[in-house]
Amino acid sequence: MKPPRAALGLLLLLAGCGAPGPQPPAAQARLADASQRGASQVRAGDHAGAARRYEEALRIARSLDDADAEAVNSINLSIVYQRMGRLADARAALAPVLNDQRRAFSETRRLQAELRMAIMDLAARDAGGAASWAKRARERCQALNCAQTAAILNVQAQAALESGQPAEAITLANAAADRARSQDDPSEYANALRIVGRARGALGDAPAAVQALEKALEIDRELADPRKIMADLLELAHASLAAGNKQAARNYQERATAINRALRDEK
Amino acid sequence: MAKTFTPPVRFTRLVLKVNAFLLIALLLVAAFVGLVAYKQGWFIPQTGISFVTRNSLGINKGMPVKLYGFTIGTVSEMRLAQNGVAVKLSIISSYLERLPRGSRAKFARESGVVGASVIEIIPGRGEQPLAEDEYIDFEPGRGLSEIIDDFRRQAVPAFNEIKQVMSQFSRSGEEVSGAMITLRREMERIPETHRAVQKLLESATRASESATRASDSVARVSGTVEQAVPALFGKLAMTLDSINGAAGEIQRTGSEAQDLLRRVRPVVEHGENAARDAGNAARDAGEVIAAAKRVWPLRESFKQPDALLPIDSFEAYGLALRQK
Repeated sequence: MKPPRAALGLLLLLAGCGAPGPQPPAAQARLADASQRGASQVRAGDHAGAARRYEEALRIARSLDDADAEAVNSINLSIVYQRMGRLADARAALAPVLNDQRRAFSETRRLQAELRMAIMDLAARDAGGAASWAKRARERCQALNCAQTAAILNVQAQAALESGQPAEAITLANAAADRARSQDDPSEYANALRIVGRARGALGDAPAAVQALEKALEIDRELADPRKIMADLLELAHASLAAGNKQAARNYQERATAINRALRDEK
Repeated sequence: MAKTFTPPVRFTRLVLKVNAFLLIALLLVAAFVGLVAYKQGWFIPQTGISFVTRNSLGINKGMPVKLYGFTIGTVSEMRLAQNGVAVKLSIISSYLERLPRGSRAKFARESGVVGASVIEIIPGRGEQPLAEDEYIDFEPGRGLSEIIDDFRRQAVPAFNEIKQVMSQFSRSGEEVSGAMITLRREMERIPETHRAVQKLLESATRASESATRASDSVARVSGTVEQAVPALFGKLAMTLDSINGAAGEIQRTGSEAQDLLRRVRPVVEHGENAARDAGNAARDAGEVIAAAKRVWPLRESFKQPDALLPIDSFEAYGLALRQK
């Protein structure tokens, strides 16, 4: 008699797993749906479609006076716009979160918006602006013990590297790597290693640069992000050339070119 | 005269040829047998170890014996023993040093519940290896019913917790209902309280008027005392009566006020109790919901995913990459 009773218990347990959750109101459901569809389209590489979804989600969030959803979708829009090359729109999307002090945006959302601004400034080669935004984000983050510490430190490290301070960049990137490892964030860990590699290269220590970059490449291959793999290979080509290993440099360069070609064909 | 038999030329040295053929055939057969024996591991020295099981169901002669999934021997013999079945394992002697004392044998299947049956050796912590013909412990394999039983044992606390949460929900509902009934009862008594307060105010007004009248009377008495001495005592007596009346009125009003306060106190106390009950019920409900949120499988229903895309510092590298 034991097995049938056990099977019944198992069935009941599984029925519990299948119970539907609480149903949100219609507008909230539309907001969640638009946001989820946007995320799916980002994963599929359809940035234009994702932007439309996030714009819709932002409109719904505003109509519901949902400050948090508004901030989240503004940040998501800025990410998508940046990937589409619409940099002005990406900045404009963040403006309400950064400038409107009357709205009840949480400190976390504000620091995330500041971090995004730092990233966009750095992408535009404005190291000073990036450092300023990153400093603001880090101050808020320290008070909240936020999850973006590693990303902020990496942005600060990149800003230091772009400003010609490779030693400072290594210190910041190592701190970012420690933090990313403790938070089990392989993406930021690989970013930190890449910065360490670039900074070591800038200091003329090509073998150490190759070592760090190879480690970054290994992680990025596991993450399967072609853009990052390509960046690692290009940096490895530079570092190998600096180390006098022309054959390895050519090999890395060819692999990076193959990825670039594959990405172009995909588009 | 008989002619002597002369064998044909082609049969010369026939015996030698036949013997050579037989020898070669014998050698080939021996080589084949040797090859088969080699393939079967007959030349590999093997050491026997044994275990006794109360139930040898599923164990067969020839079944592989594995260590870390690697075959190190086979089940070579099975015989009925005093308390069960004695199973002898033939272990390749060179692997025996990897089996320290304290090692156990376990009946297992290659893919957990399904798959080919094997005897798995779980190495012990001893320093000396097992000796020849040594007996080791045996751990019978878990069947589907045991696995389900084990699962049920683990699931029962979760079920109990869910049951407790549900009963807490139910109790909180009762407390809220009780508080609401008390509140409604007190609200029904509000008009009565209002009437009592109005009566108190009216009584107080009347007492005040009586006091004023008494005061006027005293004034009039003092004004006329010199003029009307004979009427003094009569009027004084009347005034005293008025004062007495006023004092009585005030006393009555005071007792009515005290009575009213006595009646209002339970109302206030009930109100306080009701408020306390409602607060407790709300707190309980909050705790129950918080507990429910923590309990599997309810917590999955309450989980709110953060819709934020990951903010990756690599995005800062994007344009730099294009410019290279």
